[in-house]
Amino acid sequence: MLDQLLIGFSTALLPHNLLFIFIGVLIGQVVGALPGLGPSAGMALLLPLTFGLEPVTAIMMLAGIMYGAQYGGTLTSVLIKVPGEASGVMTAVDGNAMARNGRAGAALAISAIGSFIAGIGAVTAVALLAPPLASFGLRFNAPEYFLLALLGILAIGSLGGSPIKSLAAALIGLMIALIGVDPLTGTPRLSFNQPILMTGIDFIPVVIGVFGIAEVLASLERIESVKPIKTRLRDMWLTMDDWRKCRFSIIRGGFIGLFVGIMPGAGASIASLLSYLTERKFSKNPEAFGHGAIDGVAAAESANNAASHGAAIPMLSLGIPGSASTAILLAALILHGIRPGPQLMSQESALVWGLIASMFIGNLFLLVLNLPLAPVFAALLRIPYVYLAPAILGISLVGAYAATLDMATVWMSLAFGVLGYAMIKFDVPRPPLVLALVLASLMETSLRQALLLSFGSPMIFVERPISAILLVAVLAAIVLPIIGAVRRRRGAPQPVGLGGDE
Amino acid sequence: MRPAEAVPAVFILLLAAGIYLGTSGLRMWDGITPGARFFPVVLAGTGAVVGLLLLLAQWRGFETVEVEFPSALGAARVAASFAAITALAVGIPLIGFVPMLALFILTMQMVVLRCPPVPSVGSAVIVAGLVHIVFIRWLAVPLPMPYGI
Repeated sequence: MLDQLLIGFSTALLPHNLLFIFIGVLIGQVVGALPGLGPSAGMALLLPLTFGLEPVTAIMMLAGIMYGAQYGGTLTSVLIKVPGEASGVMTAVDGNAMARNGRAGAALAISAIGSFIAGIGAVTAVALLAPPLASFGLRFNAPEYFLLALLGILAIGSLGGSPIKSLAAALIGLMIALIGVDPLTGTPRLSFNQPILMTGIDFIPVVIGVFGIAEVLASLERIESVKPIKTRLRDMWLTMDDWRKCRFSIIRGGFIGLFVGIMPGAGASIASLLSYLTERKFSKNPEAFGHGAIDGVAAAESANNAASHGAAIPMLSLGIPGSASTAILLAALILHGIRPGPQLMSQESALVWGLIASMFIGNLFLLVLNLPLAPVFAALLRIPYVYLAPAILGISLVGAYAATLDMATVWMSLAFGVLGYAMIKFDVPRPPLVLALVLASLMETSLRQALLLSFGSPMIFVERPISAILLVAVLAAIVLPIIGAVRRRRGAPQPVGLGGDE
Repeated sequence: MRPAEAVPAVFILLLAAGIYLGTSGLRMWDGITPGARFFPVVLAGTGAVVGLLLLLAQWRGFETVEVEFPSALGAARVAASFAAITALAVGIPLIGFVPMLALFILTMQMVVLRCPPVPSVGSAVIVAGLVHIVFIRWLAVPLPMPYGI
């Protein structure tokens, strides 16, 4: 492993790659700092730009956006109490409280240092865990791939929010992927003899529309001017008392974030919340949580960065994305002609280890950007959003056109922008749609190949040991949320007029 | 349950019906192999079940749907923004990407978002200029340029 990691560093340390790692983390930092634009949208907008790059360079840059956004989101959370990312909610509570008490610098500093330490720990875990998991994954065949893809889609709905709506969103993604040609027979399917649909719906207009355009449209409903709290470089020094309070918070947050991040479906948001709640239990001053607890900030920020790296483990080793951001990374691999899956680590070891090495380097860049340069990035928050929103919308269309050099992609992006906006309005989660779109081809092909191998018998999913275990996990992912919902329902007081009386 | 809350469930039911009907000319099985219609039918069936479950859960109160409708001003702003970006897409092949983008940003900021003229012109020029430099000059992406810019 060590020699492969050294080869990875030799790839990542090439000047060309260093430049794009820096560009990626810088863009991620900016994207994370801007409310209304998440890392998934940032990655989606920049995905078309990567076509001219080498695959390893492209993936390094896109990954930099993914984890850079976790660092950048801290700025808005602390300085204006608006989480830049969903994972920054707890940081917004305690970090902003610290800022109002004159400790904005300390909140930013502990966030950056905690994120760095947890991030380095998580990347080390990626380097240690991904290879054996990939070796195990080489034993997978069509039945296992189908169940793993299905588990990934079900898991993203069962760990947060409404499982039914998440499943509905995933089904929409799977249905979008049906359009075009049948992957096994080449028969046109749902194309209605339209040339524009014959080649299928590309991933890029969907993700640009659903994440980029939709988010900006939703944010334009209500434009508020906010004044960020000022912070100075000298305020960023931490006291010995701060270090004493936070040292174990960072370690605990890192572990929680890593384990949560590995699970498909659970992401940085759940990781930061779990870590915050855990830290409150361990804290000697739990009453301070919610009112400016520095250890709460450290725990939440460490966890969210560790989770964003941990999600790379199932993606690299099994080809199953653990989050919307890793789904976009996976799509980027496919668009660059690289087939993800357990064989990725052996067939594209330079790319995988280069990516892992780039994560070490990227975290170091982000520490430098966030410690002395935090006040510079904080100045970004003074740019009124009304000047940024039209630019983001316009660049979304540029990115859509650049992907295929066809105006049809631009029109598709607009259509999916409407869909994404409607999903926001009706509180239907969007990440399952993107995840399902990426996994659709794998799911269908694996299912049909499995049934071909078994001459049409579904018993193949039970007869193979690994497949049987995955089937149990799939059933658990279906049944457990239902049991949980029924229990919550029984525990809640019954409202008057139950049964649809309006 | 308000009628608006049923929209996601009805949408998925309609999609499921569309998928089922749209693949009616394809084969379910090719001998012992699942055919081109197999997976769409599975998805359509699952979609129908999920749509009905969602409707039932909302009707029985198991699922709460927070339908967030914007205010009248917010809705007008969103509608105007969408109209502007649609006009951008229409105008691109006619005028060119970069000039149309500048016009779009100017319109958005001065008309939709009511920004002062000088910063609006400035940001339109900056963004269009950046797109020209990054996409056309650096990345050599052949954006539509019927008039050379």
